[in-house]
Amino acid sequence: MPAWSDFEPFIVSGLALGGVYALSGVGLVVLYRATGVLYLAFGAVGAMGALIAWSLTQAGTPGWVSWLVCVAFAAAVTLAYGTVFGPALAGRDPLVKAVATIGLTLVLYGAMDLLWTTSGGEARSLTLPTDNSGFSVGQILVNWTQVIALAAGVVITVATGAFLRYTKLGTAMRAMANDRVITATLGVPVRRVEAAAWLGCGVLAGIAGLLLADLVALDATTLTFLVISSLAAVLIARLRSIALAFAAAIAIGLIHDLLTPITSLTNYRDMTPFVLAAIALLVLSRRRVMTQSREEA
Amino acid sequence: MRRRVAVARRPAIIAVLLLFALFGLPALLSLYYIDALTQVAVYSMVAAALGVLAGRVGLISLGQVAVLAVGAWVAARLLFATTQPYPVILVEAGLITMVAGMLIGLPALRLRGLYLALITLMLAGAITVILASLNFPNGGHGFSGYNGALVNIPPIRRPSIASGDPAYYRYSVIIAAIMFLLVLAHIRTRPGRAWAAIRQSEPAALAAGINTTLYKLWALALASFITGVAGGVLAGAVHYLYSIDFPTQNSIILLAVVLMGGVYSLWGAVVAAVLYQFLPALLQNWGVSADWLTILFGIGVLQVLTTAPAGLADQVPKDLAKLGRLLLRLTRRPQPAEPAAAVPTETSGVSGGGGAA
Repeated sequence: MPAWSDFEPFIVSGLALGGVYALSGVGLVVLYRATGVLYLAFGAVGAMGALIAWSLTQAGTPGWVSWLVCVAFAAAVTLAYGTVFGPALAGRDPLVKAVATIGLTLVLYGAMDLLWTTSGGEARSLTLPTDNSGFSVGQILVNWTQVIALAAGVVITVATGAFLRYTKLGTAMRAMANDRVITATLGVPVRRVEAAAWLGCGVLAGIAGLLLADLVALDATTLTFLVISSLAAVLIARLRSIALAFAAAIAIGLIHDLLTPITSLTNYRDMTPFVLAAIALLVLSRRRVMTQSREEA
Repeated sequence: MRRRVAVARRPAIIAVLLLFALFGLPALLSLYYIDALTQVAVYSMVAAALGVLAGRVGLISLGQVAVLAVGAWVAARLLFATTQPYPVILVEAGLITMVAGMLIGLPALRLRGLYLALITLMLAGAITVILASLNFPNGGHGFSGYNGALVNIPPIRRPSIASGDPAYYRYSVIIAAIMFLLVLAHIRTRPGRAWAAIRQSEPAALAAGINTTLYKLWALALASFITGVAGGVLAGAVHYLYSIDFPTQNSIILLAVVLMGGVYSLWGAVVAAVLYQFLPALLQNWGVSADWLTILFGIGVLQVLTTAPAGLADQVPKDLAKLGRLLLRLTRRPQPAEPAAAVPTETSGVSGGGGAA
């Protein structure tokens, strides 16, 4: 068993990773509740945004412009997908809606591999200026990107919670999560509210893509399928509660990174999200009620 | 009347196609394409298994490539450990994979729809991590059979009657044909009817006295068995197995391709396997990046889910028939009765493909 001091740096990196997972989780939950779509292309749009930002930076564009372009790209693609395919698939099973976003994922993934060839090229990296400065808590060095990642997770969770609770648009989204048809009957502009949810989710995807490109790696495959890990947090929250998704995301990030110094488990640390999600799903589904309604599980 | 003739003719057509695949194709194609076709045979089995789950019972699995990896691992371990004949090993690999799949699947079957799909994805992710750390057997000792020294690694053996590539290709086609017959035997009998009832509505199936847990587990067992056998065939086909060949995302891509091929017919499985394994080989030979194919798969999934739930295997013949009628109408202009005759077939086609994918 390693000494406590070996774990300390991983607390910081774990919290940072958890923060980004939380950010992704909130985006996924809000979109799922408002539109019924589990957006599996969340990682892919963020990854492509990050790669575009990298190309722009290489071409000499100032950093903040390229970051904005990244977020704008992710938001635009997400909104476009939601506008085109959202209504077309609105009446279908949640599973069909989720699988359709795999289509978008594959299109983006193929395009990324084509435009930013991975073979033979040297590893790309997207560094934010906040990487190089930081402070230390005791023995642990903390850089500002890690602080931003955790802070973004906290701020987005709290802000989204408040938005859903106190604004008119947020109330409309919560109403749609309960029942689309009744909400539409009450005069809520369903399409417009859905578009807002898609846009918000896209913005979060862009931010998550930027942060993950810096914290993990700027690699199309890694970033695209990192959404699977974020999904774990969302699943633990049963696609419902953003507070629970936040807690689960932080737990996953922390446990994942804290397993790193333990030699016997370090190879298995990538299993953390999957194992936690599987256990949570199985425990939570013990009391299953079979219904004919559209609301699943 | 015409339909009955077509049904009677179908076994003959399939037999001719199978004979052509066994003897015609290896004579026509180079070794490069024969190897690709062996992969097609392997993945057609995986696609058929996924078709049983997704198309027949309505259980979407996002972890079938991980199950394939488990089958390949078990088969490779047994092939190195014993001198049993290859078919015995295939059955054993299938059975062990089946038990593993059922042990994992039994608790997961409490979930439905999206949640079930996602838990299979999570389990696939976990299996991938375990295999990456355990490594595939390469002739070493102990449980894992992994020799870390990485020198003088023996290849995974093939059956003595099929050591060459064309012979092994024929061998894998025959295994695939047997697996397809196994699926067909299930679909045509009691389990197939129970699965259809469950797919339409699980509560209704339960009310009709169908043991839904048993039949869902049965489907899972059948799919795991077939995928395990496919893993065994894959082990011999490639000689060397590496965990990086089975990333979690391949399960997602495979599901996309299987949905594109069509989950309601066994032809769909063949179409899916050709799309997934033969087209990349073809494109690589032509010097076109396989990424175009990934993009095409993505568009294909969106198209299938929005407009053609029964996939290419259903849609292409229908579109060809429509095209044929159109050409017929153009060549024989003064025939007002023709469009009216086309309407009933079209509507029956729509209702036939109306099920959720």
